[in-house]
Amino acid sequence: MARFLGQTQIVLHAILLLIAFLFVAPLIWMVTTSLKAPEDIINGLGAMRWLPHPATLANFHQVLTNVQEFPVWRWTGNSLFISLATTLLIVVVDSLAAFSYSRLSWKGRDKIFAMLVATMMVPGQVLLIPTYLLIRNLQWFDTYWALIIPAASSAFGVFLLRQFFMTIPKELEEAARLDGCGPLGVFRHVILPLSKPAIATLAIFTFMGTWNAFEGPLIFTNSQEMRTLPIGITIFQGHYNAEYGPLMAAATLAAIPILIAFLMFQKHIIKGISLTGLAGR
Amino acid sequence: MYQRLFRCCINATVTILLAATLSGCRPAGNATPEAGGKTVINFWNGFTGPDGKTMGKMVAQFEQENPDVQVNMQLIPWGTYYDKLTLSLAYGGAPDVFIMQAARFSEYASFHTLKPLSGQYQSDKTPLGAQDFAPVPWRESYYQGVQYALPLDIHPIGLYYNTKLFRDAGIVDEHGDAKPPATLDEFLADAKKLTKDTTGNGRTDQWGFVITNEHSNWLTFAHQFGGDIVTPDGKHGAMSSPEALQATHLMCDLIYKDKVAPKPEGVDAWLALRQGKAAMAMEGIYMVQSLEEQKSLQFAGAPIPQFGPKQGVWGGTHLLCQPADISPAQSKAAWRLMRYISDHSLEWGKAGQIPARVAVERSTAFQALPVQAQFGKQVDYVVYDPQIPRANALNQFADPAIEAALLQLQTPEDAMRDADRRIDQLLKRP
Amino acid sequence: MSITIKSTSLSSAKPAAVSRAAAPAAAPRRDDRWSGWLFALPHFLLFLVFLLAPTLFGLYLSLHNWHVLAKHHPFVGLANYQSALSDDIFWLALRNTAYFVILAVPAGNLVSLLLALGLAGVKRFATFYKVAFYLPVVISIAVVAVLWQWLFNTQVGLLNLYLDAAVTGLRHLGLPLAPFEPIPWLSNPHMAMPSIALMSIWWGAGGNMILYLAGINNIAPDYYEAATIDGANGWQRFWAITWPLLKPTTLFCLVFSVLGAFQVFGQSYVLYGGASGPGRAALTMVLYMYQQGFSQYEIGYGAAIAYLLFAVVLMLTGIQFWLFSGRKAKD
Repeated sequence: MARFLGQTQIVLHAILLLIAFLFVAPLIWMVTTSLKAPEDIINGLGAMRWLPHPATLANFHQVLTNVQEFPVWRWTGNSLFISLATTLLIVVVDSLAAFSYSRLSWKGRDKIFAMLVATMMVPGQVLLIPTYLLIRNLQWFDTYWALIIPAASSAFGVFLLRQFFMTIPKELEEAARLDGCGPLGVFRHVILPLSKPAIATLAIFTFMGTWNAFEGPLIFTNSQEMRTLPIGITIFQGHYNAEYGPLMAAATLAAIPILIAFLMFQKHIIKGISLTGLAGR
Repeated sequence: MYQRLFRCCINATVTILLAATLSGCRPAGNATPEAGGKTVINFWNGFTGPDGKTMGKMVAQFEQENPDVQVNMQLIPWGTYYDKLTLSLAYGGAPDVFIMQAARFSEYASFHTLKPLSGQYQSDKTPLGAQDFAPVPWRESYYQGVQYALPLDIHPIGLYYNTKLFRDAGIVDEHGDAKPPATLDEFLADAKKLTKDTTGNGRTDQWGFVITNEHSNWLTFAHQFGGDIVTPDGKHGAMSSPEALQATHLMCDLIYKDKVAPKPEGVDAWLALRQGKAAMAMEGIYMVQSLEEQKSLQFAGAPIPQFGPKQGVWGGTHLLCQPADISPAQSKAAWRLMRYISDHSLEWGKAGQIPARVAVERSTAFQALPVQAQFGKQVDYVVYDPQIPRANALNQFADPAIEAALLQLQTPEDAMRDADRRIDQLLKRP
Repeated sequence: MSITIKSTSLSSAKPAAVSRAAAPAAAPRRDDRWSGWLFALPHFLLFLVFLLAPTLFGLYLSLHNWHVLAKHHPFVGLANYQSALSDDIFWLALRNTAYFVILAVPAGNLVSLLLALGLAGVKRFATFYKVAFYLPVVISIAVVAVLWQWLFNTQVGLLNLYLDAAVTGLRHLGLPLAPFEPIPWLSNPHMAMPSIALMSIWWGAGGNMILYLAGINNIAPDYYEAATIDGANGWQRFWAITWPLLKPTTLFCLVFSVLGAFQVFGQSYVLYGGASGPGRAALTMVLYMYQQGFSQYEIGYGAAIAYLLFAVVLMLTGIQFWLFSGRKAKD
């Protein structure tokens, strides 16, 4: 019996390893292609080589030095800033609101919450055109505001945190109230310390979502220096057309930070998904 | 560890947020009319390639000769140029001078976003008039009887041909030089001679002709047979007219009957010409530099052959315009810049354009430019995209129809009838 | 935006579990009335200005002929909707989108489920596999599409190179195969959407995989032990235990995959540079809305398309909720 199990395990591992390779291979290939010389990229045998030979940083050089036309560092900074700011804003605003909807009672609370939940059905694309006009009228077009503030309007984080806050035992709150805590005290000393996993999950997913966001930055900005990395990639694509060396170098540059972040936090991310049902795309 | 990282993130964010707020989050709009007593002119165009460098030089020269004016030139890739321009015209922050391509001119003029310029033309010490410009671009600077632009150039497509392949195939004139075709018959005969299987594997690998731009090539063929995208009154689609269909069939025959051209496949076609795997292509004059970069390539330019009963070639024009709500003082300074660029458009011609000013075009200096001078022979019969406000919107139906016909996804009749139906629908929309 | 909502019901065993019960009916305290409002206010204002208002404003826009450059935007009633419904390109976009959903959702979920089953069966290194399968999910669609455009390249793309090598190899072994003809993954109208679906499955399978895995791990081991004692083999155990108990998860994943897939945009946009693909084969509803609203500046028409998309999504959700409640009654 033990030997039988061992065999199935080996077969299973073989299959999973193969599939894991298929999932990771395109990414590896992206990196290797970015290190290849141009003639290796468009000739069949060179293109199939998994270790670039000779390896060259020329593609990265080309991408990173034409700062006039492709301000890559600026794009990276934009992506980072927007993602951090959005995450911070959402975490603060949503946890306050979730506390109110779960722990404080006021007239109309449940009706308003029901309305919030109902709007989670609205597909984001419906909002693109009106939000765009709104942003124009606020004079926010092509600024950071346009990429940060509207993103915090979603009811999703509130919904998620409220569900979590409601699992925190009532007794703890009552004890704090007896100690003389007001709502803010309860929020700070009872709810927040106990909700770190949920808040971290929301923060991580908001960060990844904002970092990878495509439609908003595409539509709400239009100058080179206000673009984010994903949109920068499409600018490269328009410019380099069939020159895949520089293009893959740019794609690598855009993918590496988020991949590293994922590998650092993968435990929390994967736990967060099973915890919240958030698939993260 | 978690906590520390979290706090670290928050600190970083707050710092950056503060920094961004202090440095101001890039307020929209950019007009700073005065800087040290100088009038500041914002000038937008899409010349991100080598032509932008030429324009930059001309502007710098202007600033030198006009010390009271400072020009801020902003290069915006054509891909986002009209987005940005449209928004600035609609919501503020528009430049004082900007380039407008002929295909988009009617659209912007019809929304009254451009400043009428006839006053400027007349107030100059040496006024410019119709006699100073090639007739086609001069006509283009009007919309419904009002003049809104100063035409800078004309850029028709023309015939690029590989002189080495021509000589190898024995297509030469009495001096032994490569001889470009001038008629349909010559074109077909040459193309057949130039289409070859050089490796002997049964597959053609050298083509007599390649279609590099379906839109401009189709319009050229169509106009020569008397066809167009819309009817002359601009109210209906005309792509399925007998004339347009005749042109479409001729193009399809080049691929499928005479087999002198490959299926059109985007950049690969132009690459083929650069690599010497295609002998002829019809492309814009602005592509000259792309070929000159290919050192080993021997090529020349010629007017487009006459395929149909009349002459015709698709072209474009860069127009210099001002926004409707510009202040009189700004407008005056802006006009000086426009006039200067026009007066000095020989430089512009060297960058790969045919100047709209007749005197410049006829100058010996311009005539000495080999390809430009050849393409310049066509200026009197250049035709533009339809001159109607919705011209740009038509392309979303016209171009896929041309593609469908050339790739045999649909018969030319079906494809063009579909396009016409859609165009009619669009033109009917309020 | 890019967070797919996958709420409720999955994680009943975990502390974060989302309880279906209504909020605990706390006895109203007097001081909560104002603080309650104050706490909710920041989010509520954002919500009001950037979600509720745009939603309603979009409806208003869709009833007008609204060109960005025009000074006046006349009211046209339902004309934009009429135009859309009589516009065969709109229907083509809807059909393409539905085709994408049919191609990508069932196959994608099957891949996710199989991966999860494999992971559940493996005794070691599960984390390594999980990370590998999830890796593509964290990458932006812009990067994914640029990368796959290159993989899909007809002449020098990795897919065709390896298929070529495989076919040539098999021919050397004496198999009667025709020589390999390069597959035009992206440039052929019939191949475009399947190629996009293939890319999307690679991109997204890891997300649902983890949800399936959570569902599988929630099944009490007692069931399997009992079944093993009864002599059931792996296949029988799957059909008798895993599959029926996993059905809520499956339905849940399907529902949200369908909703997400109906909003497909970035794939086509990046692969075809904002155009519609060969023979308009890659034109999806959101892409069409984008073209009308942001390339042609027909804001009203674009808004009408967006609302039609909304209607379709709402209808599908209705159907799926009905399916959900149907299941509930049977359980």
